[in-house]
Amino acid sequence: MPKLSDTMESGTILHWHVDVGDDVSAGDVLADIETDKATMELQSFDDGTVDQIIVGVGDQVRVGTTIALLVDEDEVDEQEVQVIDAPPNVEEAEVETADEPPVASPPPPVSEESSSRGLRVSPVARRLAEEHGVDLQTIQGSGPSGRIIKRDILQLVGATVETTAAAHTTVHGSETKVVAQTTSQPSIQPLAPVSPWQENRTEPLSNMRQIIAQRLVESKQTIPHYQVTMSFDLDPLLEMRTTLNEQLATTGVKLSVNDFLVRCCALAMARHPEFNASFGGDCILYHGPVNIGIAIALPAERGGGLVVGSIRNADQKSLRTISQESAYLSTKARESGLSVDEMADTTFTISNLGMFGVEHFTAIINPPNSAILAVGAAVEKPVVRQGELAVGHEMSATLSLDHRVIDGAMAALYLKALKELIENPASLLV
Amino acid sequence: MTVATNNRVIEFRDALREAMSEEMRNDKRVFLLGEEVAQYNGAYKVSKGMLDEFGPKRVIDTPISESGFSGMAIGAAMRGLRPIVEFMSWSFSLVAADPILNNAAKMLYMSGGQFGCPIVFRGNDGAGGQLASTHSWCVESMYANVPGLKMAIPYDAYDAKGLLKSAIQDDNPVFFLESERLLSTTCHVPEEEYTIPFGKALIRRQGTDCTIIGFGRPLHFCLEAAEELAREGISCEVIDGRTIRPLDIDTMAASVTKTSACVVVDQSWPFASVGSEIASQLHAICFEALDNHVHRVHSDDVPTPYAYNLEQAYLPNKRKICEAVRSATYNA
Repeated sequence: MPKLSDTMESGTILHWHVDVGDDVSAGDVLADIETDKATMELQSFDDGTVDQIIVGVGDQVRVGTTIALLVDEDEVDEQEVQVIDAPPNVEEAEVETADEPPVASPPPPVSEESSSRGLRVSPVARRLAEEHGVDLQTIQGSGPSGRIIKRDILQLVGATVETTAAAHTTVHGSETKVVAQTTSQPSIQPLAPVSPWQENRTEPLSNMRQIIAQRLVESKQTIPHYQVTMSFDLDPLLEMRTTLNEQLATTGVKLSVNDFLVRCCALAMARHPEFNASFGGDCILYHGPVNIGIAIALPAERGGGLVVGSIRNADQKSLRTISQESAYLSTKARESGLSVDEMADTTFTISNLGMFGVEHFTAIINPPNSAILAVGAAVEKPVVRQGELAVGHEMSATLSLDHRVIDGAMAALYLKALKELIENPASLLV
Repeated sequence: MTVATNNRVIEFRDALREAMSEEMRNDKRVFLLGEEVAQYNGAYKVSKGMLDEFGPKRVIDTPISESGFSGMAIGAAMRGLRPIVEFMSWSFSLVAADPILNNAAKMLYMSGGQFGCPIVFRGNDGAGGQLASTHSWCVESMYANVPGLKMAIPYDAYDAKGLLKSAIQDDNPVFFLESERLLSTTCHVPEEEYTIPFGKALIRRQGTDCTIIGFGRPLHFCLEAAEELAREGISCEVIDGRTIRPLDIDTMAASVTKTSACVVVDQSWPFASVGSEIASQLHAICFEALDNHVHRVHSDDVPTPYAYNLEQAYLPNKRKICEAVRSATYNA
């Protein structure tokens, strides 16, 4: 497992592009690997034949672990083959017992047996792990043959918050009991459950989930957030969008509301360069390029989560270019994942839940940005236009801001500029 | 030689003599017999001056016939006396195996409680230094296997006096294992009478990372090793077992429960030994507390070599103990 980014400590194989026996040349794509930041292509460093694939799809291994074996084409010599232990497959061990139907007599604690099978653990390490709710499967033992020893547990317990995991074990234990009780009295026919019975389960964090957890906690804990909300008359923009999409239908262009908002935000940023800034500890960093990030939710089958695609120099780009880039980023993010470059260097982020009918929400700033715009749906509602009650589309949007960089009045001025752009969309065309 | 102060320091051999003399003054049934114990003042001068004080009826020179004088002493013990038998070396006790194991140890049982055997067998045990295979016996593992006897191995002069007095006062046969290499070592020994109860181990050094258990002379190397290991950041608790039968497994287990690691140092051979017995008991009692199996340091599984360098390499020593502790604590 090569180190594909500075902070990468482990990687997950998402897809193998090669099979055992395939001949490959240097530069050929061998696999897609999910790192802590992005999905990257692993290219072959050498020519050769794939002799073994050691780490399977979906398995996460540490940097430096042998994931496959490439041999010179002329040396199909078995002796060259060097088998290196891959970490035990967590999922396999857990799935085995998870599906077992509950039996009349109290079943043995499921977690214990499945989690420790095949592991080398010293007795005291096993006891400490139990006391602290540590999952032995997640530990690489430092003793002989990978034996998990006292020191490994103590280091882990010292470094992590232990209460959460301990609480989980307790819950799991009592859960097992309840199941046994209800099934041990066959005379009572319980009502069919409304929804399928869901077992308690634990899933290790994906790389992305780890990064989300880490970065957003950091953001929410260190950035003094505050929010400013404004409503926008969206009728002119919707009307223009309809017109443009009709007239451009044959060219394949289909502008979304979000594409307009990207351009609006970028132009408003150009008018208020103090928004295009980051807090630098003892200084404020003002960025030159206006790079608008768009939050993209990923489908559950790709593990869920979200990424922020970067539309660079968005203030310099036409609606059409923005639309194309935005569509490209969304599709690629959902299908194969974005590269580090495609996510880097944003200076402002837009998160849009309007398509789900959400009217209003607040977002957490995406560091090192100083602001994020949470966009709600354009809702048809009674509005007052020129003193008259009318029916129109209104959209609410809420800015979350870093008060260390942007004060309330500055935020208000920015929203005012944004409002002018959104409600007078002709200016977006020129 | 002896000075009446609270800080009196005497040799191990003096402490042994003091214990025997005090008990002989207190109890007319106690007497000493063995090769050269009387007129020659003892092969190792342990009984120096005792003939003069107690006379030839209570300090008796014997022929070179361990089987004979051991059997005679056992008979005396069965009839109500409290003999102390000195073996010049425990290596020579082998020819008396039948009386000391078959008679002394089993008498109370076989006589249905009619005859006890309040006797002390004492002498040098272990390698004295280039005495070669037949005269360097460590008999503790072999003899401790036999039910019905008690066994003590003192480490310093203080314990030598206290444990030997307890041995003489005990109503059971006691095998008292001294070391020629320790006879000249000194420490503070009170002039007043005191006894040290059997079955009470002594923590000679406190530590947190690994328990080292030893008896007698190897404790010296255990303490040396603990000192060296402390410089490496490994904190060792050194336990002096003091008596093998009864064995203070509770103190040992409490320490191992604290440290999670243990090295047993036993100068006898490894197979079916005191060391393997302690390891087995600790595995049973402290299983949940152990971070590694109990490690053992013994004399190597060969007859004792004569050559100086080979003998040093063969015996438990600081190097072997350090290596075992590093391994037991995963610092190898």
